[in-house]
Amino acid sequence: MSTLIEFKDVVKEYKSGDNVLRAMDNVSFTIDEGEFVVILGPSGAGKSTLLNLLGGLDSATNGQIIVDGEHVENFDDNELTEYRANNVGFIFQFYNLIPNLTAVENVELMKDIVDVDIDGCAVLKSVGLENHANQFPAQLSGGEQQRVSIARAVAKQPTMLLCDEPTGALDSKTGVLILNLLQEMSNDKNTTVIIVTHNAILAEAADKVIRIKNGQIEDISINVNPKKVEDLDW
Amino acid sequence: MSLSKKMLRDIKINKTQFISIFLMAFLGIFAFCGVCSEYYGLEQTSNDFYADNNLADGWIYNTTITDDALDKINNFSTDSEKQLVVKSVGNFSNDPDITLHFIEDNKISKFNVAEGEDINISDDSGVWLDKRFADAQNLTVGDNISFSFNGITIEKEIKGIGYSPEYVYEASPTSILPDFKDMGFAYLSHNAFPSNIQYNVLLVKFNQSADDFEDSLEKSVDCLSFTRQSEHVSVSQFNEEMSQHKMIGNVFPIVFILVTFLTLLTTMTRIIAHQRTQIGVLKAVGYRNRSIIMHYMSYGFWPVLGGAILGLVLGPAIIPNLFYPTMSYRYSLPAWHPGFDMSFIIVAAVMVISSLFVSYLAARNISKENPANTMRPKAPNISSSGFLESSKLWSKVGFNIRWNYRDAKRNKFRALMAIVGVMGCVALLVSAFGMNDSMEHLKTWEYDDISHFESKLIVESGASLSDIDSIREDVNGSTIMEQAIEIKVQGNEKVGSLLVLNDTNLISHTDKNGNPINLSDTDISLSAKIADSLNVGVGDTIEWHIVGSDEWVKCEITNIHGEPLSQGIILSKDMLEESNLTFSPTSIITSKNVTEDYDSIKSISTLTEMKNNWDEMTGSVMMMVSILIFFAVLLAIVVLYNLGILS
Ligand SMILES: Nc1ncnc2c1ncn2[C@@H]1O[C@H](COP(=O)(O)OP(=O)(O)OP(=O)(O)O)[C@@H](O)[C@H]1O
Ligand SMILES: [Mg+2]
Repeated sequence: MSTLIEFKDVVKEYKSGDNVLRAMDNVSFTIDEGEFVVILGPSGAGKSTLLNLLGGLDSATNGQIIVDGEHVENFDDNELTEYRANNVGFIFQFYNLIPNLTAVENVELMKDIVDVDIDGCAVLKSVGLENHANQFPAQLSGGEQQRVSIARAVAKQPTMLLCDEPTGALDSKTGVLILNLLQEMSNDKNTTVIIVTHNAILAEAADKVIRIKNGQIEDISINVNPKKVEDLDW
Repeated sequence: MSLSKKMLRDIKINKTQFISIFLMAFLGIFAFCGVCSEYYGLEQTSNDFYADNNLADGWIYNTTITDDALDKINNFSTDSEKQLVVKSVGNFSNDPDITLHFIEDNKISKFNVAEGEDINISDDSGVWLDKRFADAQNLTVGDNISFSFNGITIEKEIKGIGYSPEYVYEASPTSILPDFKDMGFAYLSHNAFPSNIQYNVLLVKFNQSADDFEDSLEKSVDCLSFTRQSEHVSVSQFNEEMSQHKMIGNVFPIVFILVTFLTLLTTMTRIIAHQRTQIGVLKAVGYRNRSIIMHYMSYGFWPVLGGAILGLVLGPAIIPNLFYPTMSYRYSLPAWHPGFDMSFIIVAAVMVISSLFVSYLAARNISKENPANTMRPKAPNISSSGFLESSKLWSKVGFNIRWNYRDAKRNKFRALMAIVGVMGCVALLVSAFGMNDSMEHLKTWEYDDISHFESKLIVESGASLSDIDSIREDVNGSTIMEQAIEIKVQGNEKVGSLLVLNDTNLISHTDKNGNPINLSDTDISLSAKIADSLNVGVGDTIEWHIVGSDEWVKCEITNIHGEPLSQGIILSKDMLEESNLTFSPTSIITSKNVTEDYDSIKSISTLTEMKNNWDEMTGSVMMMVSILIFFAVLLAIVVLYNLGILS
């Protein structure tokens, strides 16, 4: 499998007033195409920061972020937008659907962004929501909302799915459902899936586990035989 | 595509604000286009009417227009036409005043036929009659009508009925509101004049400016009086009316347009602040900043566009039709069409484009932050305490003021909207009640402070002095003489009225502020408006003559008086006779309520009638007053409602 993502000595500093906070301190790692990656670390370690840099939501202070051979750190605003549109599917902890659009509209919104023909109902069906297509986010349960958000992310057919604590607001049963879905995406469609989580159990299901602490890589491990999410001991 | 659904639903949630925006945009354009359409309509219709009927550029008056003078005038005019204009009395029970024009040709100030046949210059049996008069008297083509003047009576058949460009406005001799039953004009062939005709008016067309023409006229012929087109009673009265409308049309939509923009700005700022996370998500999934800004700009665009288009369509369709009926009470035009001008579309377009810009102001910050930051709640904007708050004075200021000050400082646009809205509302109310007040004020000034008579008996022209005197004794009144005059000071001329009083206390005098003043029998008083425009005062000498006579009188002004309606000279019978003019009474005023008919009295108007006439005449002003109040209330509601929602 070929390398899709490469972080080389990435530094991210936040300035607030006179203080400089180094949230990402010389981080380097690689991720292969189609890998199911789990990022673990205590709160404040810099997991979200990492995901934001990778997803082009923020720019690094130093270092190189190479995705599919392209240097993301050199992108200007327009190239970053383009990159986000075509390569990245984001899944957030709090779903972040557009509240005034129905489930199917939230998915079909992506037609504005990518040149892919999107059948909102079909995508919703793939996450098991064909019966909720015309409900507004406020009329859906948290798990259903997160599935809409997954549908929205995969509808673009991105090269990678970036999930920042996708089950953080869900009960464990629903969480397993979501994670299972994400693992299937990775296995069936060869989409690279990167999940940030607090839950160390998920590590057993990952192809690769990246542990970070205080903005630095603590450990990177590779599972030769990852378990299926549903087989984990929750 | 789907974002437009989001927009529609967001608008639905904030519907009150967007309805306000729509309403204000609509009212601004509605008022602007409506009043302008009314005004342009008047301008276009009257200008077309003048042009189509070749209204004279000027009128030269003399007792007779000699061939010699005509030759000279023809040297510097492009066209001219002689007329004999005489006042006559129509043979009807109410003895209407009919101005007869015996014409030599019908190429200048043409009679505009509405019914019947065109003027035939060789036809000596026909007459072409004023349509307003004909309608008021129920006359039709084919009827016979007779007129008396200079002791002769002629009877003619009505061949045509129509309008004249010289009579868009007809000043009524007896009342301020023209009563078309009482007056009119008629055109006849010069052949219809019973004796040898001597023309007294020359209608001229010329290419040079009126000033130049008047110069040439003064150099080549003397003893003629000249009236240029813009000073002609009909033209100038109509122009004055139009310019009043124009001013209102231009001024008051501004308030609505300002309030539209401020409401839009506050609403959009608030919506965008509320949707910060959504904006972050849109950015994160790959929307361009430009698309997101456009999305938010579209919120204001549609309501403003809708309001502007509706205003553009309804304004010209509704407002002119509110005004034209009251206008046609006093003015005669063959047609009343609302006008249209490209500027309506331009103003509406500018309004829509400016609203886009206003939305852009609210949305432009969207592109400043990166998506990661946008999705986080905004760090509070710690505003510095500023000069005022750090000063000593601040600690002495009450809590309420401090609160309001900080609040206003934090929500600058809301505060600005409140101020503009309240100011606009107050301005509208003040001008509405101001107009109402000044109309009422003029009415009390004229009919309570100046006039104290109950009835005014208009004397038949040609009535004998002894008849008049016996009626005067009968009603225990006093005679007065009113005439149209021209006043001249160093080449500057003004038309005005002459009022000659014969020892009466039924008319008193006021200064220009309405305070009573006394005029003695030896005083000659000029009205303040004319004095101002001619730049003369007490002690200055003026020249004047009665219109239709060429005897100029020179006199010194001893007083300046003020009057709301007629402007001119007031003097006593003695002073008139001292100037070698004869006192010929035109009416009798009395404190009695006279109802009997007298042979030598043409009509009687009572004070109540005059006041009613006044109210009817000021109908269009009152219409404006009610429109202003309506708009003011609406404005107040919208602004207050929005402030309530926004706080
Ligand atoms: N915009 C910002 N400005 C300043 N500091 C920031 C900003 N975003 C993150 N940080 C800091 O960077 C560090 C890493 O934050 P990050 O959000 O990446 O942590 P995390 O690992 O995702 O934690 P959690 O598991 O609680 O979500 C934290 O100390 C945080 O305070
Ligand atoms: Mg985080």
